[in-house]
Amino acid sequence: MKRLPLLLGSALIAASLFALRAQEPAGSRSVWDGVYTEEQAKRGEPVYQKECAACHGAMMTGGESAPPLTGGGFQANWNGLTLGDLFDRIRKTMPQSKPGSLTRQQDADVLAFMLSLNKFPAGKTELYRQSEMLKEIRFETKKPAAKD
Amino acid sequence: MLPRKASGGSLRFVCFVILSLIPAVVFAQYHPKDTEWASYAADLAGTRYRPLDQINASNFSNLEIAWRIKTDNFGDRAEYKLEGTPLMVNGVLYATAGSRRAVIAVDPESGELLWIHGEHEGKRGGAAPRQLSGRGLAYWSEGVDERIFYVTPGFRLICLDAKTGVRVPSFGENGIVDLKLDDDQTISDWNNNREWAPNLETGEIGIQSAPAVAGDTVIVGAAFREGMTPKSMRNNKGYARGFDVRTGKRLWIFHTIPKKGEFGYNTWEKGSAEYTGNTGVWSQVTVDEKLGLAYLPVESPTSDFYGGHRPGNNLFGETLVCVDLKTGERKWHFQLVHHPLWDMDISSAPILADITVDGKPVKAVAQPTKQGFLYMFDRVTGKPIWPMPERPVEVGNVPGEWYSPTQPIPTKPPAYSRNGVSIDDLIDFTPALREKAKQDVAKYHLGPVFTPPTVSKREGPLGTLTMGTASGGTNWPGGSYDPETHIAYIYACNSCIEPIGLVESPKEVSDLRYISGVAGREVQILRGPGENAGADSPKPPKKRAGGSYSRLEEDDLPIVKPPYGTITAINLDKGEFVWQIAHGETPDVVRNSELLKGMNIPRTGQTTYNIGTLVTKTLVIAGEGQVTTTADHPRGAMLRAYDKATGKEVGAVFMPAPQSGSPMTYMVHGKQYIVVAVSGGPYSGEYIAYTLPSAGE
Repeated sequence: MKRLPLLLGSALIAASLFALRAQEPAGSRSVWDGVYTEEQAKRGEPVYQKECAACHGAMMTGGESAPPLTGGGFQANWNGLTLGDLFDRIRKTMPQSKPGSLTRQQDADVLAFMLSLNKFPAGKTELYRQSEMLKEIRFETKKPAAKD
Repeated sequence: MLPRKASGGSLRFVCFVILSLIPAVVFAQYHPKDTEWASYAADLAGTRYRPLDQINASNFSNLEIAWRIKTDNFGDRAEYKLEGTPLMVNGVLYATAGSRRAVIAVDPESGELLWIHGEHEGKRGGAAPRQLSGRGLAYWSEGVDERIFYVTPGFRLICLDAKTGVRVPSFGENGIVDLKLDDDQTISDWNNNREWAPNLETGEIGIQSAPAVAGDTVIVGAAFREGMTPKSMRNNKGYARGFDVRTGKRLWIFHTIPKKGEFGYNTWEKGSAEYTGNTGVWSQVTVDEKLGLAYLPVESPTSDFYGGHRPGNNLFGETLVCVDLKTGERKWHFQLVHHPLWDMDISSAPILADITVDGKPVKAVAQPTKQGFLYMFDRVTGKPIWPMPERPVEVGNVPGEWYSPTQPIPTKPPAYSRNGVSIDDLIDFTPALREKAKQDVAKYHLGPVFTPPTVSKREGPLGTLTMGTASGGTNWPGGSYDPETHIAYIYACNSCIEPIGLVESPKEVSDLRYISGVAGREVQILRGPGENAGADSPKPPKKRAGGSYSRLEEDDLPIVKPPYGTITAINLDKGEFVWQIAHGETPDVVRNSELLKGMNIPRTGQTTYNIGTLVTKTLVIAGEGQVTTTADHPRGAMLRAYDKATGKEVGAVFMPAPQSGSPMTYMVHGKQYIVVAVSGGPYSGEYIAYTLPSAGE
């Protein structure tokens, strides 16, 4: 029972965080807003080639055992979700032979390289390295009209 | 409940011995009913057909979820690529599931878990080339002895008591046959000194498909890592083997790469049969029990796209091989692709079809392929049903490569999916889009089926642009077949475009002269998984990207024109199409495209290759491989039913994620069920069972 106040406290904090998030304009940024840097994507490329390319292909076109990481099928899978969801998936399950063996920085760099090959624009700040923060960035296949 | 050791084995052993002594007349082997799904593809003929009709055109859209099993906890991490097709036999549903490739037994009406079995394989499992839950398992029974067979990621054949999930102690060693042993080769790996040395832990070989159990024989093939950029021209070989279903004793082995003195050895010039590996049977094996013949679909040799180190036709690479079920002796073979260079593994179950050609009955075998040809043979003699002449094909100019000047081309049926790339295949929604696409593909070498790979050059070509190669066409889910009407139903990706370019390999990357790659993108040194990857490891060096590769899409639209994915109905008596439809909702990116606003675009299907079909008395059923969000349904995918006579869609039901394993059906206590594996993207694996509402709609 000693833990009850702690639990209540946590619940209150969680609730207030939720309220804070709810007050923000929902998903204020998307992958079209320059959420990674060119430098970061370049850093991610050798990591990708070393850790991921054997299954997903040097050009992310996929193989018999792994899906493509570019193109319609890939984008459809993540459209409407967040970069946090995609980052979590990479963190939890990749590389397949040793999940979680890459640092958060390496995973973020690989994600930046994936975004660059998927032709999402680079910007001035690097990707966050925490999935909770990346959840603020929406993955949208379609370029928003207002950004044209 | 995750038994690592068999318990109570002695009693079971005694029972087994006693039962074995009772004449087989009393306990005949089990013959599955029409209401059951007793092997991976419904039956050993590879049909994916059940003559059930409770779920039909009038009610398909009323289906609701009977039960569902999330597979997250069947392993030490969730799995997002659940590819299994369960079995349902003798009132129990069995499936492989989760990242440990656990076996689960489930009540087929309620989904209640009856037992679970998993093997903890440590480093051997972690190093396996084909991990995760695999595609399924096999069932065998004789009297009260019911067994489940599956192969672990670490390449062990496991025999379980189907009633308890405990290993059968009398099979192999305590229910296990170590498939890395007794393989007519010493399974090896490169050690730290770059020496090829025996290594049972990391030696590359495994399999993800279900074993085939026929009569008293369990047949197991072999699979390897993706073969695009192998470390070496040397690898373990993927022989196929038959084992005694009762004892696990090896009955036979078929050398998919012949040993010296064996037939076909001379198709490997310069002694290349000695070191070349792969060439496994990684897909489903089909068996004609009456004829006592097994049909082995063989994959590519090392490496997928460069064959300069294996001059010659390379039997039995990409060859359909018919062997005696009991002895493994080769009866006939037909090499679909000489000197393979396109990763055209024979990737799915051969389909057995008793057809009538020009008024005469023929026992045929029909082989769907990545290259969109349905190769058809007399399955007794191996003779093509229709002419399959050797036709000249382009000979390339990759240094050191050996080329076959001809390839066999089926004259019937016509190719059911694109297997080359021409300007006419490119996007043509508008003239401007076609023009842009033409400019983009100008950097590549184009051509029909069997156009060889090129060396990738910055100034062009970057490579050969292909379709119907590594992905297919038809990949591992294969086709389906209605034995009553003699019509096959085959899904194919019709837009899985793949550039194949070769780059010289630095010696520290691979001892192959060329590996898959793109000019301008530096080939990376392959290190062990996780090596140099810890928190304090040095950061990767900063390098300039080549930047010559760009995604093959035009304004996010697929670079080829629809249909992107199809189901084709083919009359096997005549070798002619009955119908062909686009399967799958038009992708969001096409449907919502500003560029295409106001245009009336018929359903396009989807660019995905891992879709399996199911055939019932009246329907062809298949789910979608991509997520869409439409006015009719939230983010998700649809399981669709088509009138099998016409291809007209007659119903659809919502799935929360794409179909990732092929659907199956069965009937229990008067109710028909359809079970399908879904997963992908952020959605972890789940088996979902659909049935009709008891009270009606």
